[in-house]
Amino acid sequence: MDLSLNARSQGEFEVIEVAGEIDVYTAPRLREALVDLVAKGRHQLVIDVERVEFLDSTGLGVLVGGLKRVRSHNGSLDIVCTQDRLLKIFRITGLTKVFGIFDTVDAAVSSH
Amino acid sequence: MTQHDDRALGRPEVELSVPADGVHLSLLRTAAAAMAARLDFTLDDVEDLRMAVDEAGALLLQQSGDDAMLTFSFFLDGPRLVLRCEVPTPAPRPPRPEGFAWMVLTALASSVEVGLTTAAGASGLSLVLTHPREQDERS
Repeated sequence: MDLSLNARSQGEFEVIEVAGEIDVYTAPRLREALVDLVAKGRHQLVIDVERVEFLDSTGLGVLVGGLKRVRSHNGSLDIVCTQDRLLKIFRITGLTKVFGIFDTVDAAVSSH
Repeated sequence: MTQHDDRALGRPEVELSVPADGVHLSLLRTAAAAMAARLDFTLDDVEDLRMAVDEAGALLLQQSGDDAMLTFSFFLDGPRLVLRCEVPTPAPRPPRPEGFAWMVLTALASSVEVGLTTAAGASGLSLVLTHPREQDERS
């Protein structure tokens, strides 16, 4: 299983839909996508991982890096995730207190 | 830091060696999950083992030497599944305890032991993970 990324605009937000597996091999592609979006001036990001089948600590590191980048531009990076096995990794690493984690893209967008 | 006594484990049930490259981690995850399922692990424990194998592999890859092979050995030790993963590396050092990978790994395995071998010509880093084997009550 590879990684697929699809970015779309929703108002002032950029929604990145991620599918597949995020690990040490595929995470650099997600990092490049986030860096590109920030470079284009998109600083309000929502990352939808509902179709992600695997996420490891390398992927978490990329998400944290993205959050730091957008925050340096007074932006935001929220996560859409309802899968227990992914949420478990966020909990283990304490990142549930760092990211806004929502059930839907609309909920993430409307939280701002 | 502790050193695992491999002599007590005997012959591994399964041993896999792949080039130390991230592209092969998905294969190791899949193999670990298949083995856990064969041992009647619960679905949650299969997922935990899959994640632990990935994190252990990622930690070892950070230090792997040129053209190194990553080796995973699975042992059955009574009620436990023991997994030894190792990679040759010229200057082995323990994983950073504050890193996400170590946090996840130690949360998912019931124990993790780090082995550093610094002998000339045979230096390497190993991680030994222990997982309890709890029978799935539904099976």
